[in-house]
Amino acid sequence: MNRIDRLLAALLWLLGVLATAGITHIAAILALPQIAVKGAYARISELAKPGQLTLLPAAGANNQVMPFADPAMVQSVCPFDLSQGGLRMHADVRGGRLLTFSFHTSAGQVFYSMTDLAAQQGKIDIVVLTAPQLEIVEAEDDEDEPSQDLRLVAPESQGFVIVSALAAYQSDRAAAEERVKSVVCAVEHIAQD
Amino acid sequence: MSLGTAIAMKRGDQAHGTILGKFLFAACIGVLLGLFVTFIVVERGKGFGAISAGPWTGWPRIGTSDTDPYTRAILAYSGEMSLSESEGMSFAAHGDSNGAEFDSACDYVVKGEMPSARYWTLTLLSPAGAPIVNAAGRQGFTSSDVLRASDGQFEITLSRHARPGNWLPIGGASKFILVLRLYDSELGAPAAALDAAQMPGVVRSRCE
Repeated sequence: MNRIDRLLAALLWLLGVLATAGITHIAAILALPQIAVKGAYARISELAKPGQLTLLPAAGANNQVMPFADPAMVQSVCPFDLSQGGLRMHADVRGGRLLTFSFHTSAGQVFYSMTDLAAQQGKIDIVVLTAPQLEIVEAEDDEDEPSQDLRLVAPESQGFVIVSALAAYQSDRAAAEERVKSVVCAVEHIAQD
Repeated sequence: MSLGTAIAMKRGDQAHGTILGKFLFAACIGVLLGLFVTFIVVERGKGFGAISAGPWTGWPRIGTSDTDPYTRAILAYSGEMSLSESEGMSFAAHGDSNGAEFDSACDYVVKGEMPSARYWTLTLLSPAGAPIVNAAGRQGFTSSDVLRASDGQFEITLSRHARPGNWLPIGGASKFILVLRLYDSELGAPAAALDAAQMPGVVRSRCE
């Protein structure tokens, strides 16, 4: 075996290694959101039940539910499981204080978000549904009196909503907690045919 | 000589299964290398589509539904719940305006323009995203509670020691980052570029 042969064999071997490494890397990146141990939904379902709004504890140095959370925000979470029905969220918006809603899939990805600026006449009414549930609800709609609900179709049946309120001053924290707690999050029964 | 001839010659040379060993070895090295690269990428936490201005870096697409697989993997790994598109934007600074990394023995002054937003918050966090405990119980400032001069300008001083005005204590942390969040900001996902002059500067002052 001469030198060129050996060089070619080594090159081929290196190409094999690189191709395997590339495939592994891409597979790992794509699989990570599904297999992440500290995935968002897993951590959140330890704290809260579906259809229940639960206040997240203020982050301390050793106990934090979510890294990089804003300490000025009071956050609460409402997990949902649409196999048991839709999720209804209702909030009364008062005084132009910041209140935000973000809707996440179980892997933590945002599929919808809004702030209190999107309220209609001081009210926010949202129903999260699956596509078949939306069809049922739409079939029952009264044409003369259209529903004021914002209907969101979730990309998957499990996920969670994060409701946050800003405590603009440190002394505002209790008021911000009250604003978050006043948000209603409940399972909405959808009549199946 | 073509590659095919080289392989054929090689196969002839090694008839006793060493070729299988080589294949397995290459596969193992490849898998390990792939996982190692993945770990480095995810640990460094750098996705695509970052915009920077001065010391600040933000990922405007992070809170939208069309994030890239890298960003998704990084978020799943860190467990971070980023601000969504209509909530606002967040920026992180790992060093001062001159590009030097933060040194907890130094004082830093944050001042300058803020992009227009309904509210902003400026927070000191550990590089892993945990709050930094300090005796003063202050972890950041908001646009409402920061003390301003008569012209509306503000200056926030980061220091280990008590400072007059807006003092943001570094506490006992040896490493820290600054996170700026703009709520209901006009900077949305389409923001592809940002001017450093629009963002507050972080200037190092005296060091111990």
